[in-house]
Amino acid sequence: MSFDCSEHLSYKVLHLTGEIDLSNSSKVRRCLLDILNNERSVIVDFSELKYIDSSGMATLVEGLNIANKKGLSLTIAAANGAPLQVLELTRLNQVFKIVDSVSEIRE
Amino acid sequence: MFAQIEMLGAKAIRSFEELGRLSLFLITVVSNIFTRPFGFNDLVKQIAFIGARSMPIILLSGLFTGMVLALQFYDVLARFGSVDLMGSAVSLSLIQELGPVMTALMIIARVGSATCAEIAIMRNEQQFDALTCMAVSPYRYVMVPRFLAALISVPLLTAIFNLIGIAGGYIVGVFIKGLSGTAYMQTIIDTITWSDLKMSIVKSFIFAIIIIWISMGKGFFVHLEKGVSGAEAVGRVTTKAVVASAISMLFADYIASSFLI
Amino acid sequence: MPENSNQSSDTEVLDASVLIEVSHLSSSYGERQVLKDINLSVNQGEILVIMGGSGSGKSTLLRNMLGLMKPSSGEILFEGMNICHATRTELLKLRRSMGVAFQGGALLSSLSVGDNIKLPLRQHTDLDENTISIMARLKLELMSLANFEDLMPSELSGGMLKRAGLARAVIMDPKILFFDEPSAGLDPVTSVELDQLILQLRTAMSMTIVVVTHELESAFAIADRIAVLFDGELVITGTVDEIRACKDERVSNLINRTPREVQVDAEKYLSRLTKGAD
Repeated sequence: MSFDCSEHLSYKVLHLTGEIDLSNSSKVRRCLLDILNNERSVIVDFSELKYIDSSGMATLVEGLNIANKKGLSLTIAAANGAPLQVLELTRLNQVFKIVDSVSEIRE
Repeated sequence: MFAQIEMLGAKAIRSFEELGRLSLFLITVVSNIFTRPFGFNDLVKQIAFIGARSMPIILLSGLFTGMVLALQFYDVLARFGSVDLMGSAVSLSLIQELGPVMTALMIIARVGSATCAEIAIMRNEQQFDALTCMAVSPYRYVMVPRFLAALISVPLLTAIFNLIGIAGGYIVGVFIKGLSGTAYMQTIIDTITWSDLKMSIVKSFIFAIIIIWISMGKGFFVHLEKGVSGAEAVGRVTTKAVVASAISMLFADYIASSFLI
Repeated sequence: MPENSNQSSDTEVLDASVLIEVSHLSSSYGERQVLKDINLSVNQGEILVIMGGSGSGKSTLLRNMLGLMKPSSGEILFEGMNICHATRTELLKLRRSMGVAFQGGALLSSLSVGDNIKLPLRQHTDLDENTISIMARLKLELMSLANFEDLMPSELSGGMLKRAGLARAVIMDPKILFFDEPSAGLDPVTSVELDQLILQLRTAMSMTIVVVTHELESAFAIADRIAVLFDGELVITGTVDEIRACKDERVSNLINRTPREVQVDAEKYLSRLTKGAD
């Protein structure tokens, strides 16, 4: 698993690669919380994410909650495969704003 | 006739098996005491149950025991003209013998039965299997807190029993029989030695181990009781645990007394 | 890796690798032999249903697979590791990727539903309490137990206890889930919902699932393969269609739910009934 950050317009993009599970979700959490604490809206790029477990999902939920409280946004981009199924199974696809790709976000 | 010998033999074998099981159980519990993570919260909860909530019955039984002792000793001592020794008689009996034994019996009645039933029900509902499959040791998670709580609580409760018993003796001796209060207290100070107190402490520790070990152990192996299951089995092992704890405790009392007196 | 020869060609298996291999497993309680030479494999990503009537040995088989008891002979391999000879550390590590949902839930009576579900996370991970809390609630929502987090197990109905037990079993998204009698005591509607949930768990979480049951409808609804036990023997392992087509009497009786016809000796029967009458 690896993750890195980049910029897109006014957003911070968090690219997730590989598999997120119990062993590494806390690292992702720290990164996400740092971004939000710096008052940046964030796009989480799922395009290279193969698998995400409940600890990863919980991290994103926590992030969304904090973002909403701060008036920031957290968007998921390019969800596919197993991660998309997890979003559907947990009905979180009705909670998160999900777009097909990072470039779709224009403003 | 052979059938009866067979039955006897089978019973003997089962008893030995059970003794072996219970011994291994105790060893496993003790060896898990120092295993991490330590369940400090659970330990405190158990001390509250075994120790704190036993206070009312310990205070009551201690008081009455002390009072009855005073009445009994007054009668005996009066015949020898030694009623001044009341204080030392009451306190010696309590500290050496009645304190540890009565406290143990109260704990058996209250804690022993409840603990055995609780653990037996946990076994019946597969809670131990669930813990094992979650890679949590049932010994460390469930047994150790109760074991340590008993070791901590019972000696303390015994000490409280002794104190309130002495107070009860004082009440009867001074206010009912008209003895001198200072004499009562003085004889206690003069007579009681460190080895008497040691006896009280050692006995209470031994009794604590016996009670909690037998109660938890019998409950833990409820699924191996022949011929019964479910609620009936829980009732049966609880009864057995109470009886076995009491008898073992009294036997240990004799052994301890013969070494320590 | 050994391929399962019972697989019919048109059954889709997500991954052909074998997760669990049971070889020549025999188990006895004292002198009574409960399992006789069982050979069974569980493939990654499949839903395997172990079926049998009472007394067939399916609970014993499950207990052996869970490592809760040792067999009298034979072995059980988890991804190549023999659990009968595993060290405690190896077994501990294995158990973290296993989830078990027991009959009746087997929740700890002294903890709330929420604390019960969070137990594996608190014992085995360093996750932040916020994360743990959200994870537990996600699972509770999945099991339709959203508002029951703070209740004690004694306040729950049988069906709810079962779902809470399942929530705890899957809280760490285990690789393999064992489910003991999911439908027992549930009404048909809840039972169907539970079946759907099992199927969803397999797909979304890539879980391998072993279900022990005697409920036919559920078994046929969810199973990729079914293993039928009768009197301690593994009669057949195959797909739903293969089981349906099986000519073995013991299997067809189970499937068709025909009670075994008991022949009576008319004279003796009548005399038993009227014994003692004048």
